[in-house]
Amino acid sequence: MRQVSSLHRGFSRVLGELGTAFLGGGASWWRVFHFGALALVMALSPATYDRENRAVTANQIYFTAWQVLPWFTLLAALLSLVLIRIVVETTMSYGLSQYALEMVVRVLVLELIPLFAALFVALRSGAAINTEVALMHIRGDFDALRRAGVDPLRRELVPRVIGSAVSVVALAAVSGVIALALAYIGVYGFSPWGFAGYTRMVGHVFDLQVTLGLALKTLLFGLAVAVIPITASLETPREVRLAPVAVLRGMVRLFLVLVLLEGASLAVKYI
Amino acid sequence: MLPEPQPAPVIPHAEFKAALLLALTLALISGFLAYVMYARGVFASTQRLVLVADDSEGAKVGMDLTFSGFPIGRVQRIELAADGKARILIDVPREEARWLRTSTVFTMERGLVGDTRIRAYTGVLDDPPLPEGAMRPVLRGDASAEIPRLIATMRALLENLEHMSGAESSLSASITNVQTVTERMKGRYGALAGVLGSGDNARKVITALDRTNALLASVGEVSAKLDRMIVKADERVFGAAGVMDETQKTIVQLNAVLRDARESLKKADAVLAEAQAVGANTRAATTDLAALRAEVEASLRKVAHLVDEINRKWPFARDTQLKLP
Repeated sequence: MRQVSSLHRGFSRVLGELGTAFLGGGASWWRVFHFGALALVMALSPATYDRENRAVTANQIYFTAWQVLPWFTLLAALLSLVLIRIVVETTMSYGLSQYALEMVVRVLVLELIPLFAALFVALRSGAAINTEVALMHIRGDFDALRRAGVDPLRRELVPRVIGSAVSVVALAAVSGVIALALAYIGVYGFSPWGFAGYTRMVGHVFDLQVTLGLALKTLLFGLAVAVIPITASLETPREVRLAPVAVLRGMVRLFLVLVLLEGASLAVKYI
Repeated sequence: MLPEPQPAPVIPHAEFKAALLLALTLALISGFLAYVMYARGVFASTQRLVLVADDSEGAKVGMDLTFSGFPIGRVQRIELAADGKARILIDVPREEARWLRTSTVFTMERGLVGDTRIRAYTGVLDDPPLPEGAMRPVLRGDASAEIPRLIATMRALLENLEHMSGAESSLSASITNVQTVTERMKGRYGALAGVLGSGDNARKVITALDRTNALLASVGEVSAKLDRMIVKADERVFGAAGVMDETQKTIVQLNAVLRDARESLKKADAVLAEAQAVGANTRAATTDLAALRAEVEASLRKVAHLVDEINRKWPFARDTQLKLP
């Protein structure tokens, strides 16, 4: 009898923990969405950009986008060049070279480059933002700011979101355009006579849904790269030993979201 | 204890750089959007063409209409018409529309690999141009649709071959027969045994041939004897004092007899002429007799008339029958 009751207690405890974890997870995701929406609204309202904030936002953009742009562009161009070469060679050996260009554009510009840019920014700036915000949270900087009459959301967090969103979009745009140019050169060489066919193919690939989907996906990537680490940092208890946990949780969640976004975009396009 | 945060380093022209980056990004995005809109023909004025197909399978929105391998139009919409046919609505830019004439033929082909293609063929480029909103039928050619038919034909062919090469097939039986015949041919009597079916028959034929040879030899002797006989008969018939000689003399005598007979016939001719004259006289007499008879008949008719008259005039007589004495 005692055994049964202890089993029952254990079972109900596990259930209770599962329920708590589920509720906690749900609440945590809710905080992500809430903060994301809040950050988006604040980023779009002109009142956010007072003199101080403008400087902070400019600094963030400088750190997350300007500094990495040349190196990232070079890296992306290299990757594009290799991929274009592989696709062109393979399609030629199968006698399907007329599909090479479309495949290159679809794979590179629509899928790989935005994901690559988001992962790069996440690795470089997302992790930094995560750690920085976690430390500020633990140190109580936000409380100090609040006491000084400054909204920490507006002063510290939204500029970081804007910086990473701009970074992802800028990196994806620059690398995408370079990849398009490299694809033209990879298929037609430096001859100008492929331009009509190339234009036609671009028109064929980028219909309204695909273009809007690409824009939305890149924007969501940019938001996620900052919003998820910041949320993960803010919900950590204020103990120094938990700072690495906050970074770990934030980065894992961010990776999950990036993969889910990419999977959803592929599913909408091709299923 | 956490280290105190250092003041952020001062970045020269941070705001300018951020604005430059934003401007670059925006310029790239808007330039790309403009290029895509140009590529999708948003700025070009187009002409509508409607293709009517039995089956729109393989046709997709956004696919090209090609002419001589060059894309000249794009499918905008595919819809099902009230008559159950598929309507493929194509936008052709005005500058490309000159390739489409009233005599242009449209085809929709489907290869084994790759997309369906809609093609236009214009034979006569001097024909009047295709009007706006023209409706044209599209001919379908489907390579993969041919495959089942091809496979069915091939299967039938293979079945026939199988029938032909099977153990009970007529071809196999024929070959077996040929084998039997050639085996017989290998025997003592050669091809003859093959043709006749067995060695016994062949032996009989050979025996018959031997006999025929003997027979022919005796026939040769007989014909030699006949030859001699013919020579003798020739002498008897055509020789001096032979049958022919005698016959000639007889014919001379016959000529004399015939001459006499001709004389006699002439005399008989004269007798006949006289007899003819007698006949002529007799004919004249016969003509007179005919006149006499006519007169007698007339007299008799008058008497008969008279009697009729008397009978009519006789008051008491009831019997109208005339009683001749």
